[in-house]
Amino acid sequence: MTPPPEPTRRPSSVGGRLLVLLLAPVSALLVAGVVIDYYSSIGPVGTAFDRSLGDVALLVASYVRPGTVETLRRGLPPEVDAALAGSGARRGFALRDANGALLAGDPRLPAAPPAAAGSARSAKPVFGDAVVGGEPVRVAWYDFDLDGRMTRVTVAEAARSRDSPTRALVTATLVVDILQLIAIPLLVILGVRLALKPLLALRDHMAARSARELEPLDAGSVPVEAQTLVESLNALFGRVRAAAESQQKFLADAAHQMRTPLAGIQAQLELLERDVDAAPVRERVHAVGEGIRRLSHTARQLLTLARAEGSATLARDFRPVDLAGLIEETVTAQLDRALAKRIDLGAEAAPATVTGVGWLLREMLNNLVDNALNYTPAGGVVTLRSGVAQDGAFLEVEDDGPGIPDSERPLVTARFHRSPDAPGHGTGLGLAIVNDVAVVHGASLSIGSGASGRGTCVRIVFPAHAAAPA
Amino acid sequence: MRILIVEDDALVGDALKRGLAEAGFAVDQVGTAEQAEVALAADEFDLAVVDIGLPRVDGLTLVRRLRRAGSALPVLIITARDALADRVDALDLGADDYMVKPFELPEVAARCRALIRRTRSATSAQLTIGQVALDLGSRTVELDGHPLDVTRREWSILECLALDTGRVVRKERLLRAIAGWDEELTPNAVEVYVSRLRAKLGDAVAIRTVRGLGYRLDDPAA
Repeated sequence: MTPPPEPTRRPSSVGGRLLVLLLAPVSALLVAGVVIDYYSSIGPVGTAFDRSLGDVALLVASYVRPGTVETLRRGLPPEVDAALAGSGARRGFALRDANGALLAGDPRLPAAPPAAAGSARSAKPVFGDAVVGGEPVRVAWYDFDLDGRMTRVTVAEAARSRDSPTRALVTATLVVDILQLIAIPLLVILGVRLALKPLLALRDHMAARSARELEPLDAGSVPVEAQTLVESLNALFGRVRAAAESQQKFLADAAHQMRTPLAGIQAQLELLERDVDAAPVRERVHAVGEGIRRLSHTARQLLTLARAEGSATLARDFRPVDLAGLIEETVTAQLDRALAKRIDLGAEAAPATVTGVGWLLREMLNNLVDNALNYTPAGGVVTLRSGVAQDGAFLEVEDDGPGIPDSERPLVTARFHRSPDAPGHGTGLGLAIVNDVAVVHGASLSIGSGASGRGTCVRIVFPAHAAAPA
Repeated sequence: MRILIVEDDALVGDALKRGLAEAGFAVDQVGTAEQAEVALAADEFDLAVVDIGLPRVDGLTLVRRLRRAGSALPVLIITARDALADRVDALDLGADDYMVKPFELPEVAARCRALIRRTRSATSAQLTIGQVALDLGSRTVELDGHPLDVTRREWSILECLALDTGRVVRKERLLRAIAGWDEELTPNAVEVYVSRLRAKLGDAVAIRTVRGLGYRLDDPAA
């Protein structure tokens, strides 16, 4: 059985956790508050309405005298009429004797409260709900003594007449509650954002840093909680920087220690070759000399690669570099090789200046020209170009040699990769160096065909921000 | 022409000494900057070939001391380091040229010859490249010992190229050399004069065209 796939866990964010931990309880409390507010405002409102309905019942009762029952049947006194008129729909009233027989008023009003509402025989009115003429009503019953006979006043008002004032009150409460419900989470989110701002600024600062920046972060601008983190990071940067610097020093020393004996051997073999008379021996000396030259070349390329990789220490080596000057230097340095191979090595150098590491760019250009001279047959043309195009400053080396097939182009920048049918003794490091140096400079490398569709054209375009004021 | 080699590595020092001797120079070799100062004080040299990586006092310090002491001796720096900073340092400190190990002996010899020639042209009116002899004072050229008839502008171009034998001379520089104050000349003019010079000089020296940059006069001995 295969174990179930691990659920992919998203790394938790402090901002997200704060929001969840704050918003969930705050929202629950707010919702609970709304519910409590609703019921706690509905109750007192109902009681207040009942009390005034009860007052009307008491008022009516106070007008009923033994002789006035008949009068009431014909018409109500103005005070009673006014009290029944109330503020909303007209209230109904009924007067019954102890047997429930109607003495005056509206016969439709229920004669007795429901059992649950309790006995009306008390000093206070009793309240209950009923339906009269298909409409829900609130009813108050009040029993009083009329000439020794128990008489009952029933007063009813339409339930809907209570609705609008209740609604107004509840709405006012709820509006405030809902505003809080919306505003408080927004304030929480805003607060969390503001509180996290220094952390986010730190994150953005780190993200904007390039890999070669190992300068310490400013610990003063971050919150106390993150200071230990920043200090640890700074200590780590320091260690990485120190390690990179000692590596660079080691590589420089290694270069020195290797080049000197190689130079000695190469020069001695050159002399030996001239001194030897026997042709077979001379040929062998020459072959050894060529081997030493290749070894020197490879050593130089490996050191360049290693030093381009240790780009952490290169930040301070970035300076304005004149590409046209670099081209002139390279053409001058490689002219003899080109003449020996009868290759027309030339320049079309327009002024262009970038911020970069001079010696790395020189190694890059040298490797490109090396390749071009190696693969271009006698009588060929190799041209170095520089300038500023729409997408930035560029360097270009074009030859009219056999070219690199499309299928090979993505592979040639891999280290030690050599095309199966490549002639000569290349190391397969040249274009890897070109690629690494381009990466260090944030430049793009493209390999295409020459202008006439033949040969190879390698173009390096530097990012716009690398352009230095000339 | 006498050269002092300041190189502590026995293999390299020996090869330089033999190589330059075979190229026709009188050569002495020392292994430290201190020894070099003693040798330079005692004898006359036309050039010093100095390695940067010397024990105790390095080559750059030696050059700085020489220049501070007022010496105009041409210095060719040789180094195993290739950082741009080294090159800039060396030339800023007063070195005249710079080569990175490993090197080809014929190129070292050619650079030495060019450096000495340039220094001499400052004090002497004679400049000889192979079969061509220039008299800078009388502005005349001899080819194989016979006077060669050249125009004023052809002379200016030849002089520019000869003073920088073995180095690429930019077309713009040649244009400035032939253009008078009130004349407007196109770069094509330089091409015209160079091709006339080539015709007149024949195989005695080669004036190479470096496409897009300029021209280089090569010493056939190099």
